[in-house]
Amino acid sequence: MTNSTGAHEEVETLRTIVSSISTSARSPEEDLRDLNNFGINWYITEEGTLMIRYWQVAAGGFVSPERAATIRSNVPFPEQIDELDWLSKNFQTIRNRYAGQWIALYANRIVAASPNLPDLMNQVVEFDRPFVTFIPPGPLVWTSTYAGQNF
Amino acid sequence: MPDKTFEHVVRFFQYQDPNGQVMGFPRVDITLITASNNRIFLSLLFDTGADFTTLRADFYPILGLHSWDEGQRVDISTVGGPSVAYQYTATLEIFGKIITCPIHLAQMPSNPFYSGLLGRNTVFNEFGFGFWESTNELYVTGNP
Repeated sequence: MTNSTGAHEEVETLRTIVSSISTSARSPEEDLRDLNNFGINWYITEEGTLMIRYWQVAAGGFVSPERAATIRSNVPFPEQIDELDWLSKNFQTIRNRYAGQWIALYANRIVAASPNLPDLMNQVVEFDRPFVTFIPPGPLVWTSTYAGQNF
Repeated sequence: MPDKTFEHVVRFFQYQDPNGQVMGFPRVDITLITASNNRIFLSLLFDTGADFTTLRADFYPILGLHSWDEGQRVDISTVGGPSVAYQYTATLEIFGKIITCPIHLAQMPSNPFYSGLLGRNTVFNEFGFGFWESTNELYVTGNP
């Protein structure tokens, strides 16, 4: 078994977001709304410093893939169950920023993005079961007969 | 009178566009185990009309391929007319079962909320499904 605290890619992603905030011409409120959209916990100190909580602990090889499948079939995996709902809820914001790119979602935040799928796959090797999808630059196409149905 | 029992209930996915129009579909979340043994979460449209589980062609890198059309060519019929798919083999985890099955790559419109279709070949043999349109729910048993 190997243990790791966080993942290098996640730290890089966070660094990119923070750099973007510090150089952004947008208002602080807009930046904070983006942090919320990406599922990043934050708070503001009395001095006005933005503090961000961003960490996770992984225990690789904890069980075999076969045993993992058995365990996972009986126990919900809350942080991944609603990835699509999170994407749906935040889709306009995500499309504005990532149109034309592949993205990977993990624990309701974007952990990697790239115009190139093999490059994205290299960025997410340390994540177990990230949700991978492509954000089309144009309008969404719904070919399913369920499109437009009144849910 | 038949009496079926299901262990899983999957609610249909819903998306509301900026104009307020609501769209959705019966979704099944799967884990694709890649050639390099990584696990990727994908969402597929539950499709009893699809003979084979099918991914959009641009997902070919996660199968370890250099192009989408290097596999066995298969002529298929779609709602839009005759088309072409290429067949491969993939290992999927679906509702806690690890299944190795044939999988097609085919050209489909890009939609970020689903990567392809969950089709019948091999996969459906492992499960029983109950389709509840009125409640927008898919019921699933792994003990058909």
